[in-house]
Amino acid sequence: MWAFVFRRVIYNIPVFLAIVFMVMWILSYRDPVPAMMGKNASEEEIQSKRVELGLDKPLAERYVTRLKEIVLLDFSQELWTMPGLTVGELLRQAVPISLALTLPALFLTTVISVCIGLISAYARGRWLDRSLVFAAVLGMSISFLVYIIFGQYLGSYQLGRLVNRPIFAIYGYEPGIQNWAYYMLLPVMISVIVSMGYNTRFYRAVMVEETTQDYITTAWSKGATTSKIMFVHMLRNAMIPIITRVMITLPLLVTGSILLERYFGIPGMGEALLNAINNNDFPVIEIFSSIFAGLFICSIILTDVLYAVFDPRVRLQ
Amino acid sequence: MSKLQRILNSREARKLFRDKIAVVALVLIAGYLLIALLLMCGVLPPKAYADVVGPSNSRGLFLSENAEKRYEIARTAMLGKVKRALQREDVEVALDEVHLGWLRVAEKPPEELKSIVEESLELQRQLKAFERLDDDPDAKALLTAFEQKTNQLVAPLSGADYFMHNAALLLGTDAQGRSILFRALYSIKVAIQIGVVTALVCVLIGALLGSAAGYFGGWVDYVVVWLYTTFSSIPNLVLLVIIAYAFTTSGSDAKDTLLPVYIAFCATFWIGTCRVVRGETLKLKQMEYVQAAKTAGFGSFRVLFRHILPNTSHLMLINFSLLLIGAIKSEVILSYLGLGVKGQPSWGLMIRDAGNNGDVMTGFFWQIGTATAFMFVLVLAFNILSDALQDAFDPKHL
Repeated sequence: MWAFVFRRVIYNIPVFLAIVFMVMWILSYRDPVPAMMGKNASEEEIQSKRVELGLDKPLAERYVTRLKEIVLLDFSQELWTMPGLTVGELLRQAVPISLALTLPALFLTTVISVCIGLISAYARGRWLDRSLVFAAVLGMSISFLVYIIFGQYLGSYQLGRLVNRPIFAIYGYEPGIQNWAYYMLLPVMISVIVSMGYNTRFYRAVMVEETTQDYITTAWSKGATTSKIMFVHMLRNAMIPIITRVMITLPLLVTGSILLERYFGIPGMGEALLNAINNNDFPVIEIFSSIFAGLFICSIILTDVLYAVFDPRVRLQ
Repeated sequence: MSKLQRILNSREARKLFRDKIAVVALVLIAGYLLIALLLMCGVLPPKAYADVVGPSNSRGLFLSENAEKRYEIARTAMLGKVKRALQREDVEVALDEVHLGWLRVAEKPPEELKSIVEESLELQRQLKAFERLDDDPDAKALLTAFEQKTNQLVAPLSGADYFMHNAALLLGTDAQGRSILFRALYSIKVAIQIGVVTALVCVLIGALLGSAAGYFGGWVDYVVVWLYTTFSSIPNLVLLVIIAYAFTTSGSDAKDTLLPVYIAFCATFWIGTCRVVRGETLKLKQMEYVQAAKTAGFGSFRVLFRHILPNTSHLMLINFSLLLIGAIKSEVILSYLGLGVKGQPSWGLMIRDAGNNGDVMTGFFWQIGTATAFMFVLVLAFNILSDALQDAFDPKHL
């Protein structure tokens, strides 16, 4: 197995190199200095700022420097717009917050939509299945942003008015586990509802595929109970698509949380990235997107390893 | 039998057309496309969606407003404008310039207008004495008189103007007093434009790269796979945001162009199509008819373009539909982040405005509701169509 992991890591090195280069190359199309200096800056001031930030060097040189920093996990670069704050410190603040938002959301989404997928596949073709499928398509056709806006309106504002005390925060964040439900539960629920449509459809298709397999027919004719067939036979065999799906959803949750973090004012990774974009903070953009990509590559490799763990028929080679 | 007839008579097409919901979806999409085409021909003048046509945040369907709002409307609609125009030296010209959407000042001599304005202001002064307008019957009567008086300042509308004025107010106005209906209608053009351009370019890139990778194998395959792994290793939205940001010009030379949006979408969305077409090509390459074509001595390009690519067209069609949905939905997100559409209305901007202005918090749902409904119908139709296409062409797909 370790040989497999090692080979996959080697294979993904050019991918990672390309990502870092791509981000820097895209960013090189924008000159952040005039916006940072304001309207009244003279040509010399702009030029000296450019030298100070290292933007006068050619792209290749900046690329090598940045790559070296990322590979050595050296995140001590200071933010351009907030001197004193390093990228590493920003990461240390933002990562736990983002995880507190995305991990519960991912867990709940997966459990709930696998269950609905099972029910839907069990009732295939009947009205229950049809209405579930139709509800999923309806849910998928509404913009994420609308869910967030109405989620905030109903969850924070109307619910708070109904019981005369705030249940969920409208905006803002405070650290600490005791504050988690107040600030995070509503965004988590919105995130779950949004991803439900896609996931339910997918898991239903997986389960339906399984129901047509021979071993299910065998199990039925043996007289196995419904719950045993659904939860033991089918779920066990549907594990590979489920794992793949969860792993593919991981980076998607990061992106999903960008909007949620912005709208609810939660200072996670997404919010930090957006702030960096608004402030033209190139080091943060470059390092954050490299970290996103690195995590994605790791999760893909992990997916393959998990295949072998959950399905002994899969051989890693 | 012409080629079109052959396509329409194929087993898959018949299967598609038997699905009644899919046909409804097709009709809806055709309707949207027609509106988009008409808008591209300039049916709706910019005045209709960019100008102030009424009071801010007025309700749609001509629902009655509460007394406070009615007072606000009567006070701000024409009274102030006419009053200011009357104070100018060139009264005639100034009065001629006053307009609110399609409403204009009544053709009365300035003296008469002046007396109406003064009487209105007198009524307004009396109204100010009341603290709450809703409960008091006296206040209500006074308010009605005030409304009637200010209405005398407005020239009666007729014909096309009357129709346009009422259509503009049909679904209410946004915070700046612009017509919600016309903005939502114009957004159809923006959405279709973004969706079609993105989907076309992405399907083209994806199909070409994917089929080349699958067919030639070797280093071509390696490079293409490396390329799409690279692009898909950054979360979609992060890449979208970075590209849109990098190509959006800032500051004084900012232009109202959709180019950053196109670049961002085209660079990110081709991956799915590429992956699917590559897989299909790998499968088709082994088929006897391709082997036969190769044995017959046809060149690679001929085999690729005449024998393999046409047989992946169903995948391209399905992906086209899926990409369109993706583009329309991502536009909303980019617009919310301030990196999307600029200088023209779009559903994303409307939803963003409704969220940011606190429309929703104050219970004003007309703007967000209209934009969501317009978008919902289009995206739902494409979702249903994609499903039907998938059922018809690719039933084994998960």
